[in-house]
Amino acid sequence: MKTVLFNPFIKYSEKQLLLVGLLFTIVGSLAGYYFNARFDGALDMHIGRSTTMVTVFSDNAINIISLFIPLYLLALYINSKTRIIDILNTVLVARLAIYLTTLSNVGKFMSQIENKILFNNPLNINFEPAELIVIIIIALLSLLFLVWYIALLYNGFKVACNAKTAKHNILFAVALLVAEIVSKIIISTIN
Amino acid sequence: MNKNHLLFNFIKVKINFIKFVLHFSKMNIPKLPVSCPSCSGSLQVSQLSCPECNTLVSGTYPLPPLLQLTQEEQNFILQFFISSGSLKQMAVQMGNSYPTVRNKLDDLIEKVKQLTPKNNENSTV
Repeated sequence: MKTVLFNPFIKYSEKQLLLVGLLFTIVGSLAGYYFNARFDGALDMHIGRSTTMVTVFSDNAINIISLFIPLYLLALYINSKTRIIDILNTVLVARLAIYLTTLSNVGKFMSQIENKILFNNPLNINFEPAELIVIIIIALLSLLFLVWYIALLYNGFKVACNAKTAKHNILFAVALLVAEIVSKIIISTIN
Repeated sequence: MNKNHLLFNFIKVKINFIKFVLHFSKMNIPKLPVSCPSCSGSLQVSQLSCPECNTLVSGTYPLPPLLQLTQEEQNFILQFFISSGSLKQMAVQMGNSYPTVRNKLDDLIEKVKQLTPKNNENSTV
């Protein structure tokens, strides 16, 4: 179970991972549209923005490409035998964790909270205790999903290029930051 | 002795026999130790014997690099050889993904390179 959740890349074939990854991307994008969520960065998910089917799918396409390119270049630097499909599968499968965070807006609860914050004087915002508890729970769960997302990316990358040293790990973190910055710039320019 | 008692004894004897057979079937072929149990240093061959005529040959022979690998690593190399070097086929057989098997092979190549003395690289492994 631990392998399936955190490192499916050591067990499953590239065809299985690609199929599941593509399925996650389609279902995740539809979930983003349905729950009014935008994936406005390689490591981001924000609720309450204007979402259309086109913006959600283009967000995901930009995020996938922005993650794939720096990770693949780094993987090639570490191990020239790295295959494109392994890095692509890593990105596609890992993004499941981000897609699942859209479920925090089931019943449009988070949209209501966001509207409360955006359209009121910050000094006059009052949250009910129940609302606060739900916000804290969602915040903690979102953090856990973010950790899971990065763990999946890291494990997939490690399997794809046999990364081992501390230097490789630092470069991986840098590649993620590059992906985040590039995707943010492209998405804010296009959408 | 009644019939039930005899039957019980018969079953008991049968079970003991099965346990005995299982015990011997589980006995493994002794593994060749490759590192010293005391200091973990590499072991060397100091004596060879012929099981036919009991001739003994003494000397100091270093173990070839492939024999210095663990049993699991040796099995991996054997499987690689049997599957004609097809990592894809090995991945299917082992129930692992292709990059996992390739990484294992790369690690083994690195290990064998380290175990092979530089002036011996062109000779037999």
